[in-house]
Parts: sequence; C-alpha cells; structure tokens
Amino acid sequence: MDIFSNLWLGASTAFLPMNLFYGFIGCLLGTAIGVLPGLGPTATIAMLLPITFGLPPESALIMLAGIFYGAQYGGSTTAVLINLPGESSSVVTAIDGYQMARNGRAGAALATAALGSFFAGTVATILLAVAAPPLASVALNFGPAEYFSLMVLGLVASVALASGSLLKAMAMIVFGLLLGTVGTDVESGTPRYVFDVPELYDGLNFVAVSMGIFGICEILRNLENEQERSVGVKRVTGLMLTREDFRRIRWPVLRGTALGSFLGVLPGGGAMLASFASYAMEKRLSPNGAEFGKGAIEGVAAPESANNAGAQTSFIPMLTLGIPGNPVMALMVGAMILQGITPGPNVISDEPDLFWGMIVSMWSGNLMLVILNLPLIGLWVRMLTVPYHLLFPAIIGFCCIGAYSINNSVFDVFVMAGFSVVGFALSKMRFEPAPLLLGFILGPMLEENLRRAMLISQGDPTIFVRSPLSLSLLLVAVVVLGLVLSPSISRKREEAFTE
Amino acid sequence: MNLKRFMTFAAVAAAMGAAGMQPSRADDYPSKTVTVIVPFAAGGNTDTFGRLVAEELDKRLGQRFIVENKPGAGGNIGLGDLARSEPDGYTIGMGTVSSNAINQTLYKSLPYDKEKGFAPISLIASLPNVLVVNPDKIKANNVEELIAFLKAEPGKHTYASSGVGTSIHLAGELLSTKAGVTMTHVPYKGSSQAILDVVAGHVDMMFDNIPTAAQQVKAGKVKALAVTSLEKADLLADVPTMASVIPGFEATSWHGLFAPAGTPPEIVEKLSKEVQAIIADPAMQAKLKAMGVTPEGSTSEEFQVFIDKETAKWAEVIKAANVPLQ
Repeated sequence: MDIFSNLWLGASTAFLPMNLFYGFIGCLLGTAIGVLPGLGPTATIAMLLPITFGLPPESALIMLAGIFYGAQYGGSTTAVLINLPGESSSVVTAIDGYQMARNGRAGAALATAALGSFFAGTVATILLAVAAPPLASVALNFGPAEYFSLMVLGLVASVALASGSLLKAMAMIVFGLLLGTVGTDVESGTPRYVFDVPELYDGLNFVAVSMGIFGICEILRNLENEQERSVGVKRVTGLMLTREDFRRIRWPVLRGTALGSFLGVLPGGGAMLASFASYAMEKRLSPNGAEFGKGAIEGVAAPESANNAGAQTSFIPMLTLGIPGNPVMALMVGAMILQGITPGPNVISDEPDLFWGMIVSMWSGNLMLVILNLPLIGLWVRMLTVPYHLLFPAIIGFCCIGAYSINNSVFDVFVMAGFSVVGFALSKMRFEPAPLLLGFILGPMLEENLRRAMLISQGDPTIFVRSPLSLSLLLVAVVVLGLVLSPSISRKREEAFTE
Repeated sequence: MNLKRFMTFAAVAAAMGAAGMQPSRADDYPSKTVTVIVPFAAGGNTDTFGRLVAEELDKRLGQRFIVENKPGAGGNIGLGDLARSEPDGYTIGMGTVSSNAINQTLYKSLPYDKEKGFAPISLIASLPNVLVVNPDKIKANNVEELIAFLKAEPGKHTYASSGVGTSIHLAGELLSTKAGVTMTHVPYKGSSQAILDVVAGHVDMMFDNIPTAAQQVKAGKVKALAVTSLEKADLLADVPTMASVIPGFEATSWHGLFAPAGTPPEIVEKLSKEVQAIIADPAMQAKLKAMGVTPEGSTSEEFQVFIDKETAKWAEVIKAANVPLQ
C-alpha cells in the first residue's frame, strides 16, 4: 500500500544515525526547557535557528520538532510536583497532578503523563500519516463563524471545570474574559485598558499570568502556614501505575487523544485548548467525576494525552498548507524558508523525504521521550525532598527568568508578581483559578471571531446558523447548558462537591 | 587661572580629546559585544533578516552581534528600547515600514522622540506584497476587471489584513483611495491566519507578503492579480505590477538597520559599509532572492531619504482612509 511505502521512505530518513542523534538532542533540550517554568519552546527554537543553518533540512527540522514535543512532556513535570505549569498546555495537569503528588502519588502522576503522552503521540502520528490532507481541508472549513460557535461551546463547557460553587466559577470566567480584553482591539486598533503602557498593547501575557496565579501563589500559600506545607511530599508511594490505575486511565487517554488530535489541527491555541477541553469532558463523563480536583488520575491522563496529540497534529496545517497555527509552527516555517524550502501545499510532493521523515521522527522522538522520562521520574520526585529554603528561592528565580524570557521584558515579571497576589487573594476567598484562565484564553478569540464573522456577513447574525458546522456546535452548547442548569444534575453536583 | 578660564580650558581640552578619540573610536569599533534589537517576535521576516545580517557582521567584525527580540505594540517597544540605549554603536536595531514609517502617524504617542528619530544604517531588504483573490469569490482575471467588479457591488466584498495599520492593510486602503472603490476591511492578528481564510473563501482577497502567498498561488488555491513593487517579482515573474494599472502604486514591506539618534557618524558609516558589503555578497543575494525578497543594501543617506518619502506617503493614506489613530 501507498502509505507503507511512504512510511518506509520516512523511516529510511528518520532512522539515519545523524537524524536519530539530532532528534535525541531536540527531545532532551525540549524536556529540559519544558521543566523550567516559563522558558518555552518558542524562545529556545528562536535561539537555535542560526545553528540549524549548517544542518541538512531533515536534521534541522527533526531537532526543532523534538524541542517542541519534548517541551510538552517536560512541562507536566513541574506542574505535578510543585503546581507550576512549565508550559501553558500543562496548566490543567497541575490541578489534579499536584493533588496526586500531595497524596504521595507523584510517581504515578508522572508515569501517567508520560505513558498517556506516548500513546497519544503514537496515534496522532499515524493520523498525521494517513489523514493529513483531508484533515487540513476540515480545518479550512473553520471560518470565523465556526470558531465563534466552538468558543461558545468551550465557554459553556468550562463551567464543568469548576469543582466549587457554580456562581463563583461563573464569576471567575467573567473575570477572565475581562482580563482578556486588555490590549489593542483587533478590529478597530483602539487600545483598551492599557493606561498608556506600551507593554499592555498586546494584552497580558498568558504564561506570566498563569505562572503567577499557580506557581508563585502556591509558594505564598506555603509560606503562610509552616505546618501544612504542601509543596514537597512527605511520602512517595509506588512510582509505577497499579492495575487499577491502568483501568481508570484507559478511556480518558483514548478520549483525550481523539479530542486533542482534532483540536490540534485547528489554527490557534490547539494543544492548550485541547488540554482544557478534555479535562472538562472527563469531569463530566468519568464515573469518578467527584474526585476531580482532589487528585483524580483521569484528570492527569486526559489533558496530557490531549495536549500531546494536539502538539503532534498542529503540524498538519503547517506541513500541508504552509500555514502556521501557533508561534512554534511559525518558527518552523521560518526554519524551512531559511533552508530553501517554502512551506506550502507542495511540500508533500516536492520534498517527500522531508515530509515523511519528519512524521516518522515524531514517533521515534516520542519513544525516546518515554525512555528518557520514565527512569527520570525517580529523580524528579526526589527533587521534592530538597529543603524549602533552597527550593522556594530556586523556583522563584526560575519563574522570573521564565517570565522575562517570553518577550525579553521586565514588565512580564511584574505581571507575574501582580497575579501571584491576585491568585493568593482568590484562593483565600475560595475562587478557583482554572475557569479564570480559560475565560482569559477564550475571551479574545470569542470576541475576535464574533466581530470578524459579523464584518464578513455585513452585519447579518444568521451567519452563525447558516453554516451546518457552526449550527451543530451551537446546538451542542445549548444541550450542555441545559444539562448544567437542569435541577437534577445541579443538585447532584452540589452533593458531590459539598464537604 | 580663574575658574571661568579653567572651565573654558577644560572644555576645549575635552573637546580636543574627544576629537582626537574619534577616528580611533571607529577604528576600534566594535571592541565588545553588540546587541541587535529586533522589535518583533522570533521567526518573522524582520527577525530572519536581523539574524542573517547579525551572523555576517559577527564574522566580518570579529565581535558577537547578539539578536534580542523585544516584540510588542507594533514594534514600538523595541524601538523605544533602542532610542533609550547609549548611542555608542553597541546597541543597534531592526526597523520596518510599520515601525519606522507608519507608526509615526498611526500612534498618537510613541515611547520615543518622534522628531529625533533614529540614525538609519542601511536598508537591508524589501518584500513586495501581492494582491491575491479567492477565484470563487472574485470574478476577475486582472486589476482592471477587479476594479470594475468592486465598483459594481460597492462595500459587498471583503479584504483581509494582518492588523489595523499594517502595511498589508494600508495597501488595501491605497487601492480603495486610488481606484475609488469601497471594500470591507477584515483585520486578523498576523497574516498567516488571514491568508488561510482567503484560501478557504471566508474573505475574498488580500495583499500578502510574496514568500507565503506565492506557494498558495502556485498550488492554485488563490489567484495573483498584481504585485505591489514597481518592478515585477522573481517569484511570480508572470504577474504584472499594480503600478502598470494605477501609476505610482507602491507598497512594499521593507526592513532596515538603525542606530539610536546621536550615534557617532563614523560608526554608522562603518556599519553601513559592512551591511552594504554583506548584502552585495552573491551568496547572500542568492539566499534572499530564493526567499522572494529584494536585496537592497543602501547607504545611510539614501535610506533616510527613502524613509522620509515613505512616512509622507503613508501619512497621506492614513488620513485619506480615515484609519483610527491608536
């Protein structure tokens, strides 16, 4: 069959010793920067671009791709261990992963993340090989109207993210939406809530905000109460998963992979959106829904699979259409152009070695990452035994470096510091930060696409129901909203969460 | 010696010392690491040109030229940093048509002195834009037919851009004002999402940078009607220029190297000569042309004249099109 000869061609490229070597370097670097909070793949790839000039195109791109998905693996490590998402896509992993670590199950949480990611990476790679061109055309059908409806569904579903009071969750979503309006309005170019600060013209930085709200805030909470220190875990039981764990994560991993593969194809915040969406979905579907937020293994398995699948499939629009869906893909496009390859619909036919080689290398890279990460779990977990007076300053130091390196801007460090105080105040009042961050991500996309769709339709709102895709997304949103508000479910929800 | 005379003496001595230092200052330059500020995110065109030139300056002058990305506010943040840095040649920066010729009019206030400006070193490269249309939405094979088509249905058709006030947006406004047509502007955050929606037919047309657009044209996803440079572009050799239909129509996205105002002219001159030599190098010419870019390599004076001309041109378009100021 055609696909096998293609994969064979890819394997003959990807398994060249030199390409394996660069793939390994990429994965290793990616894991390292993923573990360091804030320091993301975008900055790293940008810094390494000049080095790749001298490499053959296949090796260069394999290494850069390795950095990207390696970071997805590494990002979950700090999220689980110290409640500090190393990557924006591992924000949700922190919710249950960190609770698992507090219960002494850090090893199991990290193993779940690694194995879930590997499974998702494998499936997404096969999907990439088989279905890249048709999937790319699905992504093309997503115009502004469809995006708007997808965001509406996302917002409605996000209520499920909350485990406490429904009203408080809604308040947090609205707060997030408002924070998202800071910056230059895309349609009119008018600055909003910028107070003449040029750094605010592009809005608040998501990574800085989430590091403040999750990471630094956690340190503040720990310092407040010396007896009940939660960073650092007293007892670590069992690094590996039990049979029961495997049974529990089976479906979440599968569903997370499916959702992540799909959302990753869409341009925009693919992997990040995927992790939020799959967490919300599992919370609804899982028989252990009540355990979410208190250390449910499903709450780690689903988003980790989803973000890795999404990271993999976000290559689809870049490789098949030449259109980058996120900043990392934009850098990959830059790297290809510097190598004399113009990304576009012709890459598959013009550069089959490169295209198929990259696909196969993604799988071999994922395998390397599991081999690299599983033995390291013991080492990471031991990091928790580092005394607080060393660990806390180190975390804060890394956070500052991370926040600074996003845009090489001191302002982002202040944003992080400010939001750590906001996060601390919110946690005192028992507001949860996850819905806030979701509102913050979805808000600008929702508004942008709403207004863009209305511009295109010359002010005719029926554009949202004329497209079958948009209509069905809106209908699903209505159904979900009905479920959330229906008396029987909301009563059950109250029961589940009150204690 | 009274105090006043001493002061005069000291001032003269200092001036002489400074004058005596000057030739050696340029000769010694650079004696330490030079920072190259790129006021846009890594991976974009400006970043690519900045890194290419920094890499070569590094080799030729024997000092590290380190690229530092300072993105934000349409390039204003990076340029603000550049303006505030010591004018000694050890901090230089990239600038573009947006940051150095459009923002001057578009922004009500800039984080640096508009009048003082910058010391232009050299124009590195320019990218023509190309007008692409979705063939299902726009029934036109050339610019004349497009204008007739748009006049028949005023305001009914949309064009995408990479944001309000970008060179891509203003190229559209230039077309509206010069051809007397009305179109609806649909802004995006960046051009990659915008061209995607033109390919998919959600938006009817756009002006896009040639390197990305050319691939979509060659794959038959969109139709190229005209390029916005005064001469035809190598990547799309059979596409006519806008100027052949609307005389004088020029809207390129250019990228150059700048120093803070007040940088010693000898250092600016030295850097300018180096950049000109780098751009003139056949290997670099070939590399840039393969990317669809026009290599420039102007002198400092030529660059200043060019910037003044561009600033005046875009100020007129912004006023005529009533683009809201930021």
